[in-house]
Amino acid sequence: MKKLNVLLLFLLSLLLVACGKSEKSPSSAQLEKLTWEQIEATASGSTVNMMMWAGDPKINAYVQNYIAPAVKEQYNIDLKTVNGQGNNIVQLLMTEKQAGKKSNIDMMWINGETFYQLRQIKGLYGPFVDRLPNSQLIDLENPFIGLDFQEPIKGMEAPWGNVQMTLIYNSEKVKQLPQTRADLLAYVKKYPGTFTFDNQFTGLTFMKALLIDIAGGKDALAGNYDAAAYKKYAPQLWSYLRDLRPYLWKKGEVFPENVAQMHQLFASGELYFTMSNNDAEVDNKINEGLFQEYARAYVPDFGTIQNSHYLGIPGNAVDKAAAMVVINFMISPEAQLKKQSPEVWGDGTVLNMDKLTESMQARFLNSTDRKFSPKRKDIQDKALMEIAPQYMINLADDFRKEIINK
Amino acid sequence: MKLNKISVVVVQSIFVLFAAAPLIFGFGYALLYSFGLIGVLNEGFTIVHWERLLFESNFWGTLLFSLVVALVTMGLSLFFALLVVVAWYKNLERGALSYIVYLPLAFPGVVMAFYTFQLLSKSGFLSRLLYNLGITNGLNDFPDLINDAYGIGIIFSLLLLITPFFILLYANMYRNERIQELTELASTLGAKPIQITLKVVLPVLLKKSAFTIVLFVIFVMGTYEIPLLLGRQNPSMFSPFVINKLQKFNLNDIPQAYAISILYILLIALLIGILFWKLRGLFIERATT
Amino acid sequence: MEIAWVVHRKGYDMKKMLQLFFAISIVFPVFFLAVLSFGKNWTYPDLLPSTLNAANWAAIVKLDTGLFQSFLTSLCISVFVGVGSTALSFITSKFIAYSRYRSIFILIAYLPYVIAPVILAATLQYYFIVLDLAGSIGGVLLAQFFIAYPFGVIILNNFWNHKIRAIEELAATLGATKRQLWLKVLLPISKTALLLCFFQTFLISWFEYGLTSVIGLGVVKTLSINVFGFVNEANIFYAALASCLLIAPPMVLIWFNKRYIFSTDTVS
Repeated sequence: MKKLNVLLLFLLSLLLVACGKSEKSPSSAQLEKLTWEQIEATASGSTVNMMMWAGDPKINAYVQNYIAPAVKEQYNIDLKTVNGQGNNIVQLLMTEKQAGKKSNIDMMWINGETFYQLRQIKGLYGPFVDRLPNSQLIDLENPFIGLDFQEPIKGMEAPWGNVQMTLIYNSEKVKQLPQTRADLLAYVKKYPGTFTFDNQFTGLTFMKALLIDIAGGKDALAGNYDAAAYKKYAPQLWSYLRDLRPYLWKKGEVFPENVAQMHQLFASGELYFTMSNNDAEVDNKINEGLFQEYARAYVPDFGTIQNSHYLGIPGNAVDKAAAMVVINFMISPEAQLKKQSPEVWGDGTVLNMDKLTESMQARFLNSTDRKFSPKRKDIQDKALMEIAPQYMINLADDFRKEIINK
Repeated sequence: MKLNKISVVVVQSIFVLFAAAPLIFGFGYALLYSFGLIGVLNEGFTIVHWERLLFESNFWGTLLFSLVVALVTMGLSLFFALLVVVAWYKNLERGALSYIVYLPLAFPGVVMAFYTFQLLSKSGFLSRLLYNLGITNGLNDFPDLINDAYGIGIIFSLLLLITPFFILLYANMYRNERIQELTELASTLGAKPIQITLKVVLPVLLKKSAFTIVLFVIFVMGTYEIPLLLGRQNPSMFSPFVINKLQKFNLNDIPQAYAISILYILLIALLIGILFWKLRGLFIERATT
Repeated sequence: MEIAWVVHRKGYDMKKMLQLFFAISIVFPVFFLAVLSFGKNWTYPDLLPSTLNAANWAAIVKLDTGLFQSFLTSLCISVFVGVGSTALSFITSKFIAYSRYRSIFILIAYLPYVIAPVILAATLQYYFIVLDLAGSIGGVLLAQFFIAYPFGVIILNNFWNHKIRAIEELAATLGATKRQLWLKVLLPISKTALLLCFFQTFLISWFEYGLTSVIGLGVVKTLSINVFGFVNEANIFYAALASCLLIAPPMVLIWFNKRYIFSTDTVS
């Protein structure tokens, strides 16, 4: 009897140990000393867990069906994706750090305020970007790439792609496009229930553009976080949103939880507007069959945020070498070219065209163009730079306090 | 016997290890975190998180909403279940219905919530049906049943899950408590059908299932997946509220998430404790048989 | 007389219609999810998806979607949790049921059972990380065990009543050893109860989402995690497909266990 119990416990603990994590990769200190060839060699046979936003099937397909098989074939690395973004990532790394343990995540798709918070808790490994051979090709001079929410990236995260936010609209129902805040207010009054924004990343990016507009436009909030400026302009933003509120979807009493839900509402005809951080989204979604061909996108006169997104490595990741190899592949010209195509993702590249071979340059220039979304060069002049991370952190918090909970 | 004593100790240790210890350790961690004693962003003992939780956050709204949803769901569920069992008892014993009613037991909360969403949203199946039948003129004529302020979608989804369970429970009880014979007896004594139902059948069924009913109220209060898909931010129910504070909102809210967990666990422990105390007669009787 | 017959008949028809409506409303979700799982485009106001083919289901076999792996992962975890917690709770509940402190044990056992698994998981996440169990199948298994084992104890608690006790004493007077008692006497008569316990604990594990996502960190992909993933991607067709996979084994289990689920011998 007793023996049976003991046996069961023993078996259970065996199972647990077998299914736990294994550690055989080099430590950070050792990693510094290896050459790139050695890093590639060490990485072979590893599994890389990549934490990323999994809300877009095209992006998921790009990573799972193009990147993963490629790195498996070329470097013998198993790439697995895990759903998570923003504060989710930070909370996890915080807890792992607190426990003094290796992280379950080896690389993550981040930008902006997540980058900022991870640096605050010293949760990132780096600087590592310079060690990636393909990093020579990155256009770091471009302020939209070399700066992440006004912070220099200093090699702590690798630029991956670049997008600009657009408002997507139903061209059959919306004949006059709102270009200013006043236009937008007039629009929602005329067509109540057809406009809204989500209470996650995309919605907050939209609110940032409004905030910049309220503060005076383009570079009004550039530079470090200015608490006085926030105190001055944020109340005006909440006041404007409260004016909009009764005419928003569901009378502004609830906001969509994510942008995918908004796209569904747009596709079903409930909303006449949706928005996306990706300027090529309309092509993607029409391609997928989710949007119908009346969908178009534009950037209003008050501008929208253009920003880059990055890849980082947790400080206590297990497979740092393998993560570096995967990231290096993801910033290679081939991979960047592939994802630029609107049939795949439509994500802008972070590479400097001048640094590529001529044949590569030609391929980039001749790659499939957008049919329904605006071309990047047409909206570049209305591009706003990201503002300091603390603005977004405050906006997220205050949006809940001022709007949702009231 | 010495061997017996060792076995008893081993068993007790197993029980403590797998049943009691997790709760105690979890509670302890949450307690320490909520008072700022542990945690990466915390700086030492403080009650500010508790203050923020109780006075600034939407805790009370969440508590109230969870309780109301639970009570309404249980009320409706019991009503329908009792109605079905009393009216259709014979069909539940034999025949197609007796099999079909087991089906919803195969559905998890996730799937039921997803189904409810696709059924009741503005562009969902019901809306399309009404439009095609000419009853509505489009999306906007259809009412807001999902992500609404009253939790209609949540309640509907929970009803679909819980009612079949109670139908089966009461059908079994009907048989085992020999309700049929009781009703026949009452009938020969001159009672009318309505009187029989109200004064004989219902009291027996409800009294016997009181414990289960309270358990289910607790379950519904703590449900996670259904309000996650069908609810809204304000008001929200307990579990999504905790997880949002833990993972999605401002990092400084994390201690609040642990504070809520503490309150929730205490509340549940209190309810279970009261339940056991009230039914202790039942347990003493069982232990000695 | 005729009027009374007509009224009675109408009442009978009414009853049949209501029962039919009731039955349809129960079966409809399965039907609805199945149809959706075969679809591709479902624009308003169509009642059916505009494309209906087996492409989605074929994708499972092609292993693109990870659904097949998730199905196996879920199955693996749930069988282990079911077997483990049934076995352990069977053995331990005997001592608990005969102990003086039975009520206290059961009271304690109720707590992990009624507390929302996701909240329990949130408070325990730190420990799982410390023990290197977070983000691993073993960790998720253990965490699910923490809620399945107490439940097993509760279910089997009522099995050990005076009848069983009498049988045990009889076996003892007839000279049975402990081993014979367990293997040849108790095990056979408890088959129903054990089956029920396995069934319930299997389902607890099979359906679990919140706890799995908090302890598994999204690395451990079970079917319920997949359903949510597809919903977040707004891919309702794959979500419907994953849902069908999720409810299939329980439907099979229920079909076989129907007789035992609510019998008073085994349920408190």
